[in-house]
Amino acid sequence: MPKRNDIETILVIGSGPIVIGQACEFDYSGTQACKVLKDEGYRVVLVNSNPATIMTDPAMADRTYVEPITAEFIERVIAREHPDALLPTLGGQTGLNAAVELAESGILEKYGVEMIGCDLEAINRGEDRKLFNECMAELGIETARSDYAYRVEDALAIVEKLGYPVVLRPSFTMGGAGGGIAHNEEELRLIVSQGLELSPAGEVLVEESIKGWKEYEMEVMRDKAGNGIIVCSIENLDAMGVHTGDSITVAPAQTLSDVEYQRMRAASLAILEKVGVETGGSNVQFAVNPENGRMVVIEMNPRVSRSSALASKATGFPIAKAAARLAVGYTLDEIVNDITKATPACFEPSIDYCVVKVPRFAFEKFQGADDVLSTRMKAVGEVMAIGRTFEEALGKAMRSLENGRAGLNADGKCKEILGQDGFDELVGRPTQDRIFYMAEALRRGWGAQRLHEATGIDPWFIDRMRDIVTIEENLRGMSLDRLDAQAFRLLKRMGLSDVQIGHLTGADELEVRARRKQLGIVPAFKTVDTCAAEFPGTTAYHYKTYDADENEAVPTPGRKSVMILGAGPNRIGQGIEFDYCCVHASYALRDAGYETIMVNCNPETVSTDYDTSDKLYFEPLTFEDVMDIVDIEQPEGVVVTLGGQTPLKLAAALQEAGVNIMGTKPEAIDLAEDRDRFRAVCDELAIAYPAAGQATTIDQARKVAADIGFPLLVRPSYVLGGRGMGIVYNDGQLKRYMAEAAKITPDHPVYLDRFLEGAVELDLDALCDGTETYVGAIMEHIEMAGIHSGDSACCTPPFSLSDAIQAQLRSIARRLALRLGVVGLLNIQFAIKDQVIYMIEANPRASRTVPFASKATGVPLAQAAARIMAGESIADLHLPSDERRLDHFSVKEAVMPFGRFPGADTILGPEMKSTGEVMGIAENFPCAFDKTQLAISYKLPEGGTVFVSVCDRDKRGIVPIARDFVRLGFRIVATEGTSRALRAAGVDCTPVKKISEGAPNVLDMLIAGEIALMINTPFGHATRDDGYELRTEAVKHGVTQITTLAGAQAMAAGLEAMRANGLSAIALQDLPQHPLPLEGGSAR
Amino acid sequence: MSNITEQLLRGTSKGVGAKAALALEDGTVFFGTSCGAAGEAFGEICFNTSLEGYLEVISDPSYAGQIITLTYPQIGNYGVNLEDAQSGKPALRGLVVRDMCATPSNWRSDMALGEYLERNGVVAIEDVDTRALVRHVRDHGAQRAIISTVDDDAESLLAKVRASESIVGRNLAATVSCERPYAHTAHDMPDSVRFALAEVPDARFKVIAYDCGVKRSILDGLVRAGCSVTCVPWDTPAEDVLAQHPDGVFLSNGPGDPDAVSGTYSQVEKLLGKVPMFGICLGHQMMGKAAGADIEKLKFGHRGGNHPVMNLLTRRVEITAQNHGFGVLFPSMGELVPELSGGYTEHHDDLRFWVRAGIAPVVRNERFGRIRLTHVNLNDGTVEGVAFLDVPAFCVQYHPEAAPGPTDAHYLFTAFARLMEGRKDYLDIDIAADRLAGWRFGAEATKELANA
Repeated sequence: MPKRNDIETILVIGSGPIVIGQACEFDYSGTQACKVLKDEGYRVVLVNSNPATIMTDPAMADRTYVEPITAEFIERVIAREHPDALLPTLGGQTGLNAAVELAESGILEKYGVEMIGCDLEAINRGEDRKLFNECMAELGIETARSDYAYRVEDALAIVEKLGYPVVLRPSFTMGGAGGGIAHNEEELRLIVSQGLELSPAGEVLVEESIKGWKEYEMEVMRDKAGNGIIVCSIENLDAMGVHTGDSITVAPAQTLSDVEYQRMRAASLAILEKVGVETGGSNVQFAVNPENGRMVVIEMNPRVSRSSALASKATGFPIAKAAARLAVGYTLDEIVNDITKATPACFEPSIDYCVVKVPRFAFEKFQGADDVLSTRMKAVGEVMAIGRTFEEALGKAMRSLENGRAGLNADGKCKEILGQDGFDELVGRPTQDRIFYMAEALRRGWGAQRLHEATGIDPWFIDRMRDIVTIEENLRGMSLDRLDAQAFRLLKRMGLSDVQIGHLTGADELEVRARRKQLGIVPAFKTVDTCAAEFPGTTAYHYKTYDADENEAVPTPGRKSVMILGAGPNRIGQGIEFDYCCVHASYALRDAGYETIMVNCNPETVSTDYDTSDKLYFEPLTFEDVMDIVDIEQPEGVVVTLGGQTPLKLAAALQEAGVNIMGTKPEAIDLAEDRDRFRAVCDELAIAYPAAGQATTIDQARKVAADIGFPLLVRPSYVLGGRGMGIVYNDGQLKRYMAEAAKITPDHPVYLDRFLEGAVELDLDALCDGTETYVGAIMEHIEMAGIHSGDSACCTPPFSLSDAIQAQLRSIARRLALRLGVVGLLNIQFAIKDQVIYMIEANPRASRTVPFASKATGVPLAQAAARIMAGESIADLHLPSDERRLDHFSVKEAVMPFGRFPGADTILGPEMKSTGEVMGIAENFPCAFDKTQLAISYKLPEGGTVFVSVCDRDKRGIVPIARDFVRLGFRIVATEGTSRALRAAGVDCTPVKKISEGAPNVLDMLIAGEIALMINTPFGHATRDDGYELRTEAVKHGVTQITTLAGAQAMAAGLEAMRANGLSAIALQDLPQHPLPLEGGSAR
Repeated sequence: MSNITEQLLRGTSKGVGAKAALALEDGTVFFGTSCGAAGEAFGEICFNTSLEGYLEVISDPSYAGQIITLTYPQIGNYGVNLEDAQSGKPALRGLVVRDMCATPSNWRSDMALGEYLERNGVVAIEDVDTRALVRHVRDHGAQRAIISTVDDDAESLLAKVRASESIVGRNLAATVSCERPYAHTAHDMPDSVRFALAEVPDARFKVIAYDCGVKRSILDGLVRAGCSVTCVPWDTPAEDVLAQHPDGVFLSNGPGDPDAVSGTYSQVEKLLGKVPMFGICLGHQMMGKAAGADIEKLKFGHRGGNHPVMNLLTRRVEITAQNHGFGVLFPSMGELVPELSGGYTEHHDDLRFWVRAGIAPVVRNERFGRIRLTHVNLNDGTVEGVAFLDVPAFCVQYHPEAAPGPTDAHYLFTAFARLMEGRKDYLDIDIAADRLAGWRFGAEATKELANA
């Protein structure tokens, strides 16, 4: 069936900010969908609140609304744009939920919008546990067996049938409270009786435990003619009990025989048909009992998911692209296989390599959070590695994680491990480091069976790991000279890195590399082609292997090429923003006539879509792996300044190896990062900076503190995302910090800066071509100094800075950029206190504010930077004046993952904790700010009680704000000190006790749902006190918290404006856009 | 293997295997390690792209005369369950893999694959860059090859391979057929798949199967469709078959060049029209030959579990298992019948023309009347199935029994049963409705396991 001609405009809903469990894989799928729909001639309208995405680039859709993903806002967009259809399955759970709300509230019907790709009934059958189980029962496919108990005796009777252990889930309790696993009658009685009490329905679900079973995922596609295919099967290395997003996973399935696999395949297709997924991609998860092959379906997602992004990258089959085409009427056999260009997409990819995905965590950011992996996802990112064997792929994955490791142990970075008892526990407990402990266990001689019993992991994986570890240990202590070509090839085929071989043989990485190449052991690059080489492919999507009889990657004759190094796994401090910059560089350099080569290992991203660049190398971002590609491709230059810290830290080594670093040179980067040299530059340019010192011992630190005084901002050198940063207020805290800091970077000193309490902070992004500097945007932080810039809300243009100050900031930026020798992007952080501008830091690279700044100003900064690096001048790019006035305000607000980490303190500080961001655009600052709050919490308080507790500094400032809230009809409760200040100023309010003051107190009100909004401005050092408990409870109950006066004021003003006129929906295309001219200058 | 390599491998699951070599007749040589029986083996080099189901491939008699390269690099992961084997003894000549697993993991595994190969005398080589090999075969076509674990001299290997016999024109079916007739019934169903497969129904049809190297799963499929099967040798006279008054005759898969199997297709010519018939793979080619069709040798064949085939009658695409190096040329079966072919009178070599036109064309065959094209391969437009309109017979080039591979086409066994019932709409089956037929899930299966 050809595409539908009865629809013209299609509304696509994105997935909003990056949060744990919903990351940039939906930018990848959404971008693909938008591109395809536009190619097919449809008018695309997009709603997504996340500015850091490629999909929200104004060129990706016809109308782009960076607005909150709420039914109310989407209705406004629908009323304005009159879409004929809504495609809900590409925006993750957020997009799906919004679509369901629109459908159920009758909005779609009212405006005559048809839901395509999936209908409401199918979504409900997929998502509603009870309906889903009924569907499965009708098919005769098993789900985990369970029954409801209303008395302890019921539970005992159910257990008679199921056997121990059983999982107990009280119905309708918050966050699954009161549940647990019972291994015997005693535990059962205890948990069930407690659970019955806790459950409002007096009901406990008793479910058989399938913990320890093998876990599989099937990525399925279906078209409306009823054709169904499996794109990819995925086997989890971790057994049931660890969320699949937190598991190491492997594609294709490794340990299923044909009959087992085909049964799972048939079931997957039947499930899609039964649930009623009309078209598109879905994912079905199964558990298999390793003892007898019994198969249980766990769940299905009637939409593209994180695993479909992984499956697309793992096979070369673009699921989201196909899903978008299917949704507009095509069938699978009418879509051409993107890679072969000759065969249809209606087939099942065959792969001739092994893919390993490893999740990346960020527990170090969340003190107090439980780091044991469970059924609730905690990973913030992931890496994927491709090798010809599991061993080769695992080795690559382990060195891709950006956690300092060079492989599966044997790299001199193994954590110190306790005595035998402690060790057994480390091996048995699923954590981010367990894979390393398993390797250590194998080194200590554990058998496969023992390790299998301790971990539940299939012996096949353990045996493969044992081979790796055994070879590592056999190599340990040998001399490098003894290795011949065959031995080297074996080591590389087992996935060992040059760093590991160096560590084990007492050589350094460069010696290993030289020796290896001397022996002729160089890798080959193979191609991901969907068909195991059965048909010729045309797409340059490559991976490296030491199966090197034939190399398939060659430089394109007669073309100048540029290599762009990506950002690696998403983690806190290094997220999608950097991928955005890399993708833009690729687009811009292609426009400038270069062949673009992308290198990255993050499967969630747009950069690793084989469509983004001319060539894609899916490889770890290490010196060894990057140099191997350089050796083959011989690019004209390598871009290292757009992918954040990951590529930046390779810059010096690459340059030393003779690689041309494009744009800002490593010397300039070092000049900005070396504190002493940088301060000399500031002195030279007469730029003020906070008094500072450095120390490697506590004594030195005390001396610095005595010189410049507390509070101090302390941090290790060379960090991104404020890792290991802190503010210390006294000697005790300083001592503790120094003791802990030594563990972070033993070779680098700790920096101690005077902390400017109460200062206003600013971010500035600029371009420089070596002679001219262009200031892209000045962003005023809403949080005071001391909050990491990545966690702080900010507004551009600045809402409270005079033109004179802004001119001064631009002038400093110009001088500094030229002095440092920046060619490309420069980010500067300033603080203003008492009318003095202080330089906090300067980074001659892309910052995380670049995508936001680009969208706020209409100037594609990352593209401009790439073109400058390729030799064009700022004058060539015809940018609008950087002193022009914008008629709108744009606010960026950070999104925190605290809800995922019960127990972790939610207070913000110099260490970055946010995972994502949203953007709000409006005619004024308060409305833009309110849009961001709405985009995060999906609803704003309309009335009720505001809890106010401010520090002494803010007692005066809070008064007019509280008055505004009262005028808006809110009731105020406040802690004693605050309420005294408010009453004194004539603001009506009720005092409430702090938690430490006994019951009833504010916590009781919060738990009872009586608080609609919290304004709590902390001062000084955070401790485990009232504030901590209160903040934690607020996160748990989803109550909006504001921690600064500026934020509180914006909230009040925004609420007022909203009541008066409502917030209007603004499309980016309504704002001035300044695309770069296509014709390049000197780069041609 | 160098001393230092041996030292590194000490204590791993990777044994220190003998050196082995693979040489193709065009002079390409790959070196690796022996991972099966020792010795030397000659055959036609080809490759299979299935991701799992290596045992079913290795034990498929249709691979007689061939050296199989498996494109998935790690083979043997879940070991060998002897009851998954498609025949008592592998008929292939040799096996090429990237990495052979010596420590399999699966609850149904009886032994490691390497051990199975050794027991059955199959010469095999690992550590080969199989992707490079597959790309070479894809570009240069199937050709003669040798695997040796005793000779690693390239010159000598080339001389040997160039002196070896080609499979073109050879009757390999005769080498894997049965000596004498045998029965295959519900009693012959393997126990170890009962956890996954439905109970066997009572036999309603008496079927005689020409065994040209039949896969066990095909016979199982017939039994599960309600047939009681008697297999007969490849060249059994039609009269002997008809004398037993079967409800239907089945033509099995088999190896090699169909032109060389005249002993079968000459009998098929006599059987068509006298009894309902169904053919798979070589069986399809036998029906084609009986109808006078021409045969082509494909450049490198179809071998894998992911080939899309469109059923022109339902317009549904089936993902199919395939294993053949020769194909029937549909246009050679007769002139088009325009009134049954959308008015078209011109043949098209690329049968995807009919897919795009939405027509299942019909030809008039000199011997058997009208024949309809029912199934087309969407990758290359070759014929995948035909139905005779004037005699009760149909056949497919691909493998509805899968094993290994997707079971989308399972409905064809049901179709054969319907044909034997005399239904005109025998092929008109919704594959979605048929999807779970034959499988067993859940509690029922587990209960039985517990009782077993």
